[in-house]
Amino acid sequence: MTFARRAFIVVWKDLLVERRSKETFNALFFFALLLLFVFQFAVGPDRERLAGTLPGLLWLGFILTGLLGLGRTFVVERENDCWEALRLAPGDKSAIYVGKLAGNLLLMFVVEAILVVLFGIFFNLDLAGVLPALVVVIGLGTVAFAAVGTLFAAMTSQVRARELLFPVLLLPVQAPVLLATVKATEAVLLGEPLGSVAHWLKLLGAADVIFVVVGVLTFDFVLEG
Amino acid sequence: MVRIVGGVTLVGLAAGLVMAFGVAPREVTQGNVQRIMYVHVPSVWVAYLAFAVVLVASIVYLARRVDGADRLAHASAEVGVLFTGLTIATGSIWGKPTWGTWWTWDARLTSVSILFVMYLGYLLLRGMIEDPDQGARYAAVLGIVAAFNIPLVHFSVYWWRTLHQPPSLMKPGPGTMPGVIVAALMVNFVAFSLLYVYFVAKRVNLLRREAEAAA
Amino acid sequence: MPDNWGFVLAAYGLAAVVLIAYWRRLVRRERATGAEHRPTVRRA
Repeated sequence: MTFARRAFIVVWKDLLVERRSKETFNALFFFALLLLFVFQFAVGPDRERLAGTLPGLLWLGFILTGLLGLGRTFVVERENDCWEALRLAPGDKSAIYVGKLAGNLLLMFVVEAILVVLFGIFFNLDLAGVLPALVVVIGLGTVAFAAVGTLFAAMTSQVRARELLFPVLLLPVQAPVLLATVKATEAVLLGEPLGSVAHWLKLLGAADVIFVVVGVLTFDFVLEG
Repeated sequence: MVRIVGGVTLVGLAAGLVMAFGVAPREVTQGNVQRIMYVHVPSVWVAYLAFAVVLVASIVYLARRVDGADRLAHASAEVGVLFTGLTIATGSIWGKPTWGTWWTWDARLTSVSILFVMYLGYLLLRGMIEDPDQGARYAAVLGIVAAFNIPLVHFSVYWWRTLHQPPSLMKPGPGTMPGVIVAALMVNFVAFSLLYVYFVAKRVNLLRREAEAAA
Repeated sequence: MPDNWGFVLAAYGLAAVVLIAYWRRLVRRERATGAEHRPTVRRA
């Protein structure tokens, strides 16, 4: 069985589980909606202040939702005693990592798309022109987030205080990625071309490569025992 | 053996103090407050040294499963967090009279703070996993991720603070330094490095003894 | 520029307190493990 096929089976399984229960997606969607309310109340109706904080709020929304969603990556396996099955699966364990990563990326992208639409509606933004650039920035940032998140989710899945430890470990590591994405998003939302934030994009690209490679190389060690 | 290192460390630290207060001159622009640098800068150096050791030890542990490597990583992370905290605290104390504020999101303080939280998380992870083998493996993975994150932190924070910012932000640490100040700094570098070695050695011994006692 | 010796003292004092406290913690725990079994081999 090839690496790619094994990874694909993991994604397919998770999609099937999700399609049947819809528990993760529904909850995350509702959570994203609530975040919008909270942001509006926290920042207030002042249009100008809102415009300044918008990129930060958007990524805050992605991250908070992502923390909830990613943290649950391996909960299905843990709760149903399938962790052993993962462990004993023959061949390269990193195929499981890639599969889980792909599933998480899918989840994140769907949630992010919804959040962007909701932001556009609630905060009255004109996103039509900037959408392609925005997609690039969000894509790059999300890969880094999901890559580390999937790895850490596996590591924290059986710790007693999983819900606490997962964000505590993930957020500091994401700090530079967050800096880069917010700055890049800021520029993009102002209509500036992607070239003006090339350095941020390169940093995100580097982060993506580094984190995915480290994830692939170390996942075997996480899955043991 | 460790005691000898301890003794030498003590001598080094004393020499460092003498250099910092007796030999080094009163700095021209900042006044005597600048002397805090002789603690602040060596501290941050030791922190980076410590985390580099964590990276190497983590890789060695995953590759070879040598318990000593795991203990070294653990000890080095702990000492690293200690010195990182010290860096932040002394940097803040230096900042108050210099910039007028206890805290500022300048490049160095921000980077070091992120480092601090990352490796604090490392220690937290170790504390929360009961199975020692699993704890060692997971900590090693985290140690590797954290280390690779350090250059990302540096670049992102530096760009965050300097691009589109007026260059009037003062950074801690003098620019071109007179030789005496450099000398004082070097002595303190060596002293603090010795202190790092001493602390890590003792901590590793302690970890080994505690593991043997538990076995 | 005023000399702010208070701050210098605070910084060095804090460093001393923290480092000495850590050292004492190491020594104390070392003694605790040493007390649990009589060492038959002298460690330098």
